[in-house]
Amino acid sequence: MNHSNLNKMPERLVDYSLSKEIKQGKNGGLQKVGVIGCGNMGQEIVRTISQHGIDVIYLDVTEERVREIRVELEQKLDEIINKWGLTESEKRAIMSRITGTTDYNDLRDCGLVIESINTKLRGTSLEIRKEIFRQVEAVVDSDIVICSNNSTLMISDLAAALKHPERAVGLNFITPSTSVRIVEVIRGKDTNRESFEFMIRFINKLDKRPIMLNESLGNVSTRLIVTLINEACEVLMEGVASVQCIDDTMKLGYGLQLGPFEMADRVGLDKVQKWMDNLYFEFGEQKFKPAPILKRMVRANYLGRKNGKGFYLYEEGKIKGHLVTTTEFH
Amino acid sequence: MKIIIINCGSSSIKYQLFDLATREILARGQVEKIGLHGSFIRHERNDGDQVTLEGEIVDHQAGIEYMLGLLTSKKRGSLKSFDEIDAVGHRVVHGGEKFHDSMLITQEVIKGVEDCIDLAPLHNPPNLKGIYAIQSLLPKVPQVATFDTAFHQTMPDYAYMYAIPYSLYKKYGLRRYGFHGSSHRYVAKRACEILGKKAEDLKLITCHLGNGASMTAIKGGRSVDTSMGLTPVEGLIMGTRTGDLDLGVLIYIMQKEEIGLNAINTLINKHSGMLGVTGVSSDMREIETEACEKKNERAILGLSMYHYRIKKYIGSYMAALGGADAIVFTGGIGENATRSRQEICKGLEYMGIELDQVKNKAARGKEAIISKDSSRVKLMVIPTNEELVIAEDTARIIKELK
Repeated sequence: MNHSNLNKMPERLVDYSLSKEIKQGKNGGLQKVGVIGCGNMGQEIVRTISQHGIDVIYLDVTEERVREIRVELEQKLDEIINKWGLTESEKRAIMSRITGTTDYNDLRDCGLVIESINTKLRGTSLEIRKEIFRQVEAVVDSDIVICSNNSTLMISDLAAALKHPERAVGLNFITPSTSVRIVEVIRGKDTNRESFEFMIRFINKLDKRPIMLNESLGNVSTRLIVTLINEACEVLMEGVASVQCIDDTMKLGYGLQLGPFEMADRVGLDKVQKWMDNLYFEFGEQKFKPAPILKRMVRANYLGRKNGKGFYLYEEGKIKGHLVTTTEFH
Repeated sequence: MKIIIINCGSSSIKYQLFDLATREILARGQVEKIGLHGSFIRHERNDGDQVTLEGEIVDHQAGIEYMLGLLTSKKRGSLKSFDEIDAVGHRVVHGGEKFHDSMLITQEVIKGVEDCIDLAPLHNPPNLKGIYAIQSLLPKVPQVATFDTAFHQTMPDYAYMYAIPYSLYKKYGLRRYGFHGSSHRYVAKRACEILGKKAEDLKLITCHLGNGASMTAIKGGRSVDTSMGLTPVEGLIMGTRTGDLDLGVLIYIMQKEEIGLNAINTLINKHSGMLGVTGVSSDMREIETEACEKKNERAILGLSMYHYRIKKYIGSYMAALGGADAIVFTGGIGENATRSRQEICKGLEYMGIELDQVKNKAARGKEAIISKDSSRVKLMVIPTNEELVIAEDTARIIKELK
């Protein structure tokens, strides 16, 4: 250590470091994460990260939307406070770490970027997500990991848009991600070890268990849940049992927290259908072909909890009645 | 003998450099926001020189490196080299049933502290990070761990056991451990010195009243009961913690509010206590202002509950000890809140507790006897000094080594 010039130079913390390779920036702690797309899932990711003491910048399409998202984030935190899960001062700390932008240049200093767009388009969002990957890569350093949070696109397909595809890692947070304890972390064909291990450490830092996977459409979670939901739809259509009875069977019989129809309503029927379309397209197997009732309900705008009507009727987020029953048994 | 005392929290490190020969603090400081945005170190030397340096401090190891760098620097330091450091003492929160006294840190002791992580998941891991950091930076310097729980390990089984299935005690070590051990031990020792009596001859009730609060019944220098339990949420009403609570209330709240374990944990630890009852603050000074000046009914209620709970514990510890020679107040509230001390002692004259109003009002943040000369039970104010306990324990254990 050389302190002889301390009087002339402004005093800095690093002047007092013992080791030369004092940990700075990239080698050490992750300081800032960028999240692109801030719908429900994007917001959950933003909150989870900030809650663990890391700065987050979210990017969305318009200034107006960026402002709305901030309000929505606050509202959600207020709901958690009302349910005793958080204190006012913790909320202030969480919000102080969150900023919003519409400009990719503001992601420049991020140590990690996660794409989590919520596209309303029918069909695949692959091209849109690829374009986002390109725009992110143009502004961040060459070794920064870029992730896509989705369950029915291949991370390798997205990585193909990158000059450095080895930095692309797939993620799948499961909603409600603030309380679900696992996150799927997906290794694409080009993903290198450093990037993958970096993401494992990151997920651990969020107090969640990383489930490490090799890429396969639908990962583990989506592939298994959609087949359960779809089979429940088939059982319903065959008139074997009512929505309530099927849900109760799986909840009480097998200890699931939610029955398949409650689960479908929570995920969103349009999303379930989209997942299945993607899986069917990839694997071509009958088991992934969306049941007609699912398609009919999506067409009729019965989307589940998010618009208050799906298999059940919702008021203020709680089940108030049934919308779909089946053949009456008398 | 120069000793560094380290207290590692989840994102902070507090430290003091002690010269035990003169009992002087040569330097002190704190590292804050470790691993977070805006981390900094604040360092202060005993000649008044002080500095705050902001910069990236990625983990506890880096924070301790900067601390050592400052302590040995020409400009800000107090030491010529690391050779001057005789030992490092760590505060460790949970020592489980393994540790009855401060310990020289060996691989076996580290393993023991690691085994207690389940009992203090928020506290023991950062304590360990401090130990690992010193191990790698100053491998030749002996380290000592002082446990918050150790002093209470003398409690008899009927005081520390919970009336739950015995198998759960055997399986998980679920029992009363108690906390603030160093503080209760320090003020008990000082009380003996001030009263000029041997520890063996005294029965004491010590009240550590800070943001966290606990009381201990001490007989012959040994803790025989304490109000905190497996976790620091049991016992007295605290700033934001419930203290004693009917378990049925928890189950009822969880059912009615439809909340899970995380939320109920936050509710009993952060939304409750004085803050929850008064809705004013967790800070006693603000609550007293609201109660006295604005006649805020909930503030008045909160204070009454706070004082009543302590009074009940005095009664039960009187019974446990078979009377007491002295009651000691310490901690931020215990040392300064004259009105609280007055309210707590009110009506206890029948058991020989007589507060001297004038002495009580005069005693703020300094050692004093505040009972009447005629009082059978002496009432005392003794500012706590947990760091000194750690420093002295460290010195004692190091001397035994030599």
